[in-house]
Amino acid sequence: MKNISNKVLKKIRDNNIKPKPRWYFITRNYFIWSIFGISIILGSFAFSMVLFIIKQLDWDIYHYIGEGFLKTVFISLPYFWLIFLILFTGVAYYNFIHTKRGYRFKFISILLISLIISIILGTGLYFNGFSERLENVFLEKIPYYNRLVYSREEQWMQPKRGLLAGTIIETGLPENNFILMDLDNNRWKIEAGKVIWKGKMTPATGLKIKLIGTLIDDNNFKAMEIRPWQGKGRFIMRGNQ
Amino acid sequence: MITGSECVNKTDEQIVVLTLKNQDYYLFLMKRYEAKLLNYILKISNISREDAEDILQEVFIKAYQNLNNFDLNFKFSNWIYSIAHNTTISAFRKKKVRPQTVSWEDKDLNNILESTLEAENRSLQKLTYKQILKIINQLPLKYKDVLILKFIEGKDYREISDILRKPMGTIATLINRAKKSLKQELKKEDIKLKKL
Repeated sequence: MKNISNKVLKKIRDNNIKPKPRWYFITRNYFIWSIFGISIILGSFAFSMVLFIIKQLDWDIYHYIGEGFLKTVFISLPYFWLIFLILFTGVAYYNFIHTKRGYRFKFISILLISLIISIILGTGLYFNGFSERLENVFLEKIPYYNRLVYSREEQWMQPKRGLLAGTIIETGLPENNFILMDLDNNRWKIEAGKVIWKGKMTPATGLKIKLIGTLIDDNNFKAMEIRPWQGKGRFIMRGNQ
Repeated sequence: MITGSECVNKTDEQIVVLTLKNQDYYLFLMKRYEAKLLNYILKISNISREDAEDILQEVFIKAYQNLNNFDLNFKFSNWIYSIAHNTTISAFRKKKVRPQTVSWEDKDLNNILESTLEAENRSLQKLTYKQILKIINQLPLKYKDVLILKFIEGKDYREISDILRKPMGTIATLINRAKKSLKQELKKEDIKLKKL
């Protein structure tokens, strides 16, 4: 045992072993912190998308779909983005514990702090309109993205369940009826005699709307309530006022 | 030529700074930890002395190569114990080393037993040295590790946390569980003996 230290020193000299340079460790530390920061930012993107998707869905129409509220929540949650949020939070955690003092913090504390930062940043991004822009980019650039998330389009294109969405293409028919082109480019004659219009709007061509009502046949739909495509509509208007 | 007396009054951290300028100083740092680390490696791993010495050499070389990563705000002893711990575990995983029965000093065993058993259970200490050693060596590594660091190496919670790179709360839990587990195993052994 006596000779271990001498042996090691000899080995160091003979093999010309040198301490790794300081810049190597500094770079590595910066790299770990950068990946941590990037993961938090990507996590906040994911959270802003979660918020965007949740906010754009109409949660008060679950009884039209014929499902319970919990089942509707279960179907509608944006799992695609939630998985990304969890993934990026995990990557942030992994990098944080590999920083110099990261191991001193509890697993749950690191996870919560990472998540809270992502949530705060993500909420800011959502209110900034970033998530809507990101959603459009994804819809345009990522094939099958619309199949990965339960979108407002999917929620409202269920005519058999009394939900329909589209753009008015012709007005002025008797009894306030109008013609609608739905989101799948199908033509519908809408019976709107006793309809409740929600939101500050009047029926006009080019107006994008959501309808709650009853399916009559393949081309006819009886509307009971009409909402603007964006939001739920806070102001009630009757008929075609 | 550097003499040992030059380093006598210097702290580990001061010698680290000197080593980065002149590798010969590293010898004095290694000498300070040679016996302690060899003992630690032997106790946590149960391997032959020869294998432990090989691991120790690897530890010293790794530490030297990573000397620039040592943060002077930390204690060098914790840092090098941490490297020794990781290198031993890694050698174990790679099966580079084979377990053997390693002898412990009586005072080390007593340190662990006294900290684990309450006064009314002191009779358990009448178990033979071999029986107690067998029980300690059969404990899961995570328990054996904290018991050794706390009661043999005399490290406090913060130091053990820095060596094992785990939060202090986790270390406290591990120590409690390790003591409980050891106590249970000792009791079982005692009951078995009484039945004989």
